[in-house]
Amino acid sequence: MTSRAEFLGRIRAEMARTPGLFPATPSVRPARPRERLDVLRRELSERWAESLARFVGEFERVGGVFHRVARVAEVSDVIAAIAAEREMRKVVSWHPDALRLDLAGPLSGRGLEISTMPGGEVTAAERERLRGVAAAAELGVTGVDLAVAETGTLVVVSGAGRPRSTSLLPACHAAVFDRDVLVESLAQAGLVLEAWHEGSAADARGAAINFITGPSRTADIELTLTRGVHGPKEVHAVFVEDGLVGGARG
Amino acid sequence: MSDPDLATPFRERASRALGDAFLKEALTIATTKFITLRQEAFGDYPEGEELRDRARAIKEATLQHLDQHLERLIDNVERRGGHVHYANTAEDARRIVLDIARRSGARLAVKSKSMATEEIHLNEALEAAGVTPIETDLGEYIIQLAHERPSHIIAPAIHKTKGQVAELFARELKRETRPDPEMLTRIAREELREKFLQADLGITGANFAVAETGTVVLVTNEGNGRMATSLPRVHVAVMGVEKVVPSMTDLAVFLAILAKSATGQKLSVYTSLVDGPRRSGELEGPEEFHLVLLDNGRIKQIAGTLREALYCLRCGACLNVCPVYRQIGGHAYGYTYPGPIGILLTAMLEGPESVKDLAHASSLCGACADACPVRIDIPRMLIELRKEVVERRIAPWPERVVFGAFGWLLRHPALYRLSAPIARLLQRPFARGGRIPRLPLFFSDWTRTRDLPVVAARTFQERWAERERRR
Repeated sequence: MTSRAEFLGRIRAEMARTPGLFPATPSVRPARPRERLDVLRRELSERWAESLARFVGEFERVGGVFHRVARVAEVSDVIAAIAAEREMRKVVSWHPDALRLDLAGPLSGRGLEISTMPGGEVTAAERERLRGVAAAAELGVTGVDLAVAETGTLVVVSGAGRPRSTSLLPACHAAVFDRDVLVESLAQAGLVLEAWHEGSAADARGAAINFITGPSRTADIELTLTRGVHGPKEVHAVFVEDGLVGGARG
Repeated sequence: MSDPDLATPFRERASRALGDAFLKEALTIATTKFITLRQEAFGDYPEGEELRDRARAIKEATLQHLDQHLERLIDNVERRGGHVHYANTAEDARRIVLDIARRSGARLAVKSKSMATEEIHLNEALEAAGVTPIETDLGEYIIQLAHERPSHIIAPAIHKTKGQVAELFARELKRETRPDPEMLTRIAREELREKFLQADLGITGANFAVAETGTVVLVTNEGNGRMATSLPRVHVAVMGVEKVVPSMTDLAVFLAILAKSATGQKLSVYTSLVDGPRRSGELEGPEEFHLVLLDNGRIKQIAGTLREALYCLRCGACLNVCPVYRQIGGHAYGYTYPGPIGILLTAMLEGPESVKDLAHASSLCGACADACPVRIDIPRMLIELRKEVVERRIAPWPERVVFGAFGWLLRHPALYRLSAPIARLLQRPFARGGRIPRLPLFFSDWTRTRDLPVVAARTFQERWAERERRR
C-alpha cells in the first residue's frame, strides 16, 4: 500500500511543476472565533425578532411546521397536540439536560409512551436496545444548537444525551429552540462552526453536526417531490419566547 | 475502466439516445426544470455572484498548497481516532475498502450516493468479495436494481418512468404497487430502513473535507448520508484529493452555492459534518472511521491542462445547460461522469484517448462555464483536449491528413491561391445547388450530417485582386 509520505511526495512533485492559475487566497479565518461569536451574539440579540421572522418564512418554504409558545411549560402541549393529531403514541426525546426541558412527566400523563435517552455512556447492548426504541418511535423531540434564518435550517450537534437517531429515525421530528440559537446567515453559521472546533472544544461533544433544512425529500422518480425518504416526513420547530433556561427573560 | 457499452462508438450511442423519444422528453423536462430552479435561486441571492468568485479563489488557493491542507486533514482525522488510506489508482481504492470490509467481517454495506465510488466501480468488487452493497439514494437504488448506471450526477434515474420503476420493484422486490412516486418512495423507505439497521459497513463519498478540523462533509436530501454515517459499525469515506477545503469559514462559502447550483434549494435538506468515529457518551456512530484519499489521475493534473477541472463540486449544473447533454443524456457519454465536465473528468481518469470523440461532443457555446458555480472554463479545456487528441495522433488518420494538408496550404499563400481553381474542378461531380451533400470515401463522414458549401465561383481573394487591378 502507498504510504502517506509517498502519496504526498507525488503531490509535491506535481505542485513544483506548476505556477498557480491565478493568485488566490482562502477565506480569512477569525483569529479567536469564540470571542468573535460572543460579539456577534450580542449584536444578534438586538434584532432576534427579524431573524426569527426570516427563519419562519424559509422554514415554512421548505415544508417545516412552525409553532410558537410563550413559556417553556407550554412546549409539552404542542408536542402532545402534534402526536394526537397524527395518532402517534411512541415518543423518544433527548435527555432533559440536553433538551433543557423535561417532557417525560407532562407527556406520560397524556397517554403517550415517552422514552428519554440516557445522558451518559451506556453498554453496547443498551445502545443496541435504544436504537430499536428510536427506530420504533413515531415522534422524536430534540433541542436545537443553531437555527439559520437565511435557509430555515435547524442544526443539531450529537453527544451524550443527544442521539443522532432522535432527529432521524422517527417519521416526525419536533425541535425546541429559543432566540439564543438564531443566526442570520450561512456565513455566521461558518463562524459558529469555527468556534465549535476551536481548541479542544470539538472533543467534548459528539462526532456529528447535522444541518437539517426541512423534511427528508427526493425527486428521483420523474422529478416528483416526495417527502420522507429515509429521514422524517415532517419537521416541526417549536419556538419558546421566554427562552428555555430559567424562562425569565428581560 | 470502461463500460460494456463502449464497444459501440460514441456516434452510435448518441444516435441511439436521439432515437429514444421518452428519453428526450424526460431530459427536456428535467434539465429545463433544473435550469429554472437554479436561476430562481441565484436571482433571489444578490451576494451569489461574489460568493462564486470567492469559491473559485478558495479552490485555486487550496490547490496551490494542496500538500499542506492534506497534511492538516490527515493529522486531524488521525487525532480523532480515524484511519487514513492512500489510493493511487481505482484498484488501490477497491483493495483498501475490501480489506476494511474483510477485517471487520462485513457482509452488508449501505452506500450513500457517491460519484467517487461509482468511478472506482466499487460495487462489483464488493459483490465479488461476498459483501452485498446496497445503494440507498433512491435514484441510485433504482438503477442498481435495474443493473444500470447513473445518467445524471444528481438525478441518476432521470431516464426512468414511474411505470418502469413500479415494474422494477414488482420484479426485483416482489412488491406490487401502482406507478405512483409517493407509493414507490414508501416501499423504498421500508426496504432500505431494514438494510440500514442491519448493515455492518457504511460507505460514502465526501462533498468536502475540512482540513483544519478533520471533518468529512456529506450533503444529501434524503437522509441516507446521515444513516450510513450513524448506524453501521464501520464508516468508510472515499474522496478525491481535491475535495479538501481549508476551514469551516471556507465551507460556509461552498454550502451557500452548492445546492443552489444543483437543485435550486438554498441548502440541501441534510448537511452532515462528521468528525470521525463515535465519541464516548454517544448512542450512535461508527466504532471505526476510515478515510480513503483517492488520486486516480487527479494528482497528475495539478500541473496538467485539466487543473481547473479539479475545482469541480459535482453539482451537475453544466449538464443541465449543455445542448449536447440535453439531447443525448448521460448514458451515451459511456463513462461515469457525463456532460461537459464529465468529458474533462473522463480524460483525467482514463487518459485523452478515451475522449477522442467525446472532446467534440460540445458546441463550445460556453453555457457550461456560465452555469458552473466555480466558473470552470470548460470550453477552454475542451479545446486543449482536442488539440492533444490531434497532437498525440489519437485522432483518426483521414482527419489528421486532411487538416494537416489544409494547415500546410494556409501557410503557403501562392499554393493556396492556386487551390481554389483546382477545388472548383474537383467538386464538380459532387456539387448540388451550391452545396456538396455527399463526399466520397472516408471523407463521407464529414457530410453524413451536414452539407459542405462549394468553393465560390470567384473567391474573395480573386475578387479583391480584381478590384485592386481596376483601381
